[in-house]
Amino acid sequence: MRADAEMPFFFGPDAGLFGMYHAPSVPARRAVLMCPPLGQDLIRCHRLYRQLAQSLAEEGLAVLRFDYHGTGDSAGGSAEVDWERCVADTALAAAELRRRAGVDRVVAFGARLGGSVALAASEQARFSEVIAWDPVLDGDHYVSELDAMQAALREDASRFNQPRSHSDVAEQWLGFDIGETLRRQLSTLRVVAAGVPTLVLDSMPASATPRWERIVSQRGRVAAITPTTPWSDLERLETAILSHPLIQAVAGRLKEVA
Amino acid sequence: MREEAHRFGRARHLVGIAGVPEGARGQTGVIVLNAGLVHRIGPFRLHVELTRQLNAAGYPTLRFDLSTLGDSGASGGQQTRTQQVCADLDDAMNLLAERAGCDRFVLVGLCSGAQNAHVVAATDPRVSGAVFLDGYAFRTLGYKLRHYLPRLVDPGRWARRLMRRTGGAAAAAPKVPQAVFAVAPAPREEVIADFTGMVERGMKLYLVYSGGISNYFNHSRQFRECFGKVMSHPAVTTRYAAETDHTYILTGDRARLLDGIGGWLSQNFPPANAGRHA
Repeated sequence: MRADAEMPFFFGPDAGLFGMYHAPSVPARRAVLMCPPLGQDLIRCHRLYRQLAQSLAEEGLAVLRFDYHGTGDSAGGSAEVDWERCVADTALAAAELRRRAGVDRVVAFGARLGGSVALAASEQARFSEVIAWDPVLDGDHYVSELDAMQAALREDASRFNQPRSHSDVAEQWLGFDIGETLRRQLSTLRVVAAGVPTLVLDSMPASATPRWERIVSQRGRVAAITPTTPWSDLERLETAILSHPLIQAVAGRLKEVA
Repeated sequence: MREEAHRFGRARHLVGIAGVPEGARGQTGVIVLNAGLVHRIGPFRLHVELTRQLNAAGYPTLRFDLSTLGDSGASGGQQTRTQQVCADLDDAMNLLAERAGCDRFVLVGLCSGAQNAHVVAATDPRVSGAVFLDGYAFRTLGYKLRHYLPRLVDPGRWARRLMRRTGGAAAAAPKVPQAVFAVAPAPREEVIADFTGMVERGMKLYLVYSGGISNYFNHSRQFRECFGKVMSHPAVTTRYAAETDHTYILTGDRARLLDGIGGWLSQNFPPANAGRHA
């Protein structure tokens, strides 16, 4: 691999957004924007996102990974993460990718809330297609799940010698400060179908599988990925999420429509 | 102040984010190493928060990924991991010297990051300080007494053990959490000799150990039990944070850690003359 094929940089109006551009070895005809999930999922997926980006760049696609404001290496504190700004940052990142790659056709990929952001930003960012891996469709259920995990964390004996106070764990989700705005935005989040072809990659446990038909009924389909992904397992909170089947599925889909 | 994204190193294989405050030229630079396999932002973004807080206090910083971790690639050479770590830190110090004029450095590492920082701090004369978070430790006699004695006199524990033997309701095996981070052991005498050499060279050390490593460390006295009299040297500061976990998942714990590191730095490497550390 050429070292300079992966270039880290900052972009956006205040140069506050971090990006990692994966240049293909041949002139690109298409590009892929990788929308990260939020919170601990972003850290857990970092390795997998890099592997997928490298795999797609080897196939001749230009790829951009980036961090939203308040996440990863981008400017801003964790409490400043804002759903609307994530969507706007995604549109900025898509424009940056088009400029760097010299192509107009951009496919979006995202895991969990990254998939939800990709779907929500599809029109603004002019995506030609969205590939969403276990996207969050109903924010209220997701918020309840995070609240329950945060409550369990308070008395997690494998982490703390003594249970922590309620105030110690308040206004946070699994390691990150949560602003009231984001909580409210996610609580009312209801992701709808994008107006472009959509592939949902489903690795949720059978008991938790959302009703994907809401977002794929017209221009999309669902493909199962095995094994299931332990997104919501407190015991694996700091374990990286890796999935060779996911990489194969995304690369396979992009070959189909080449 | 804006952060800078860099690809750097002898094989341009390393990726890092430098923070260079206005007018910080010649200050002591702070370099933050990976914690386990987590990329350079650190567990729960600890390294981002730390470097930005230190930038605000006037210190140039670099958080970066060691070879093959995070976004960094392999250097391509035939080196042991220890040699790679030393060469990567050499590259990192050269970058911060170029960007901010630093000629002295403080290394910060958690867990395997502490272990890697230790290796470099023991050998590189440009390192003038180090913050070891849950670094080397050894189960001492004191640890065992503190760990096992309360269990021996706990009637509830004996009752549960009896239940298990007789096949009672509590027979289910307790869940063992997955080990995510770990520090590989090193000979104790070697670690003590390293610490002694560091302080004799004029280095300042800050050891912060958490309640998250209670399987081998459980009291502030254990610093001295583990490493002997060097822990009482004026150049060494220790802190045992019994209530916290290993990766500082709670934001209040993280804020206290960052304040502690910031306070230790300002005391030992005040920004005004940090570059002229003795």
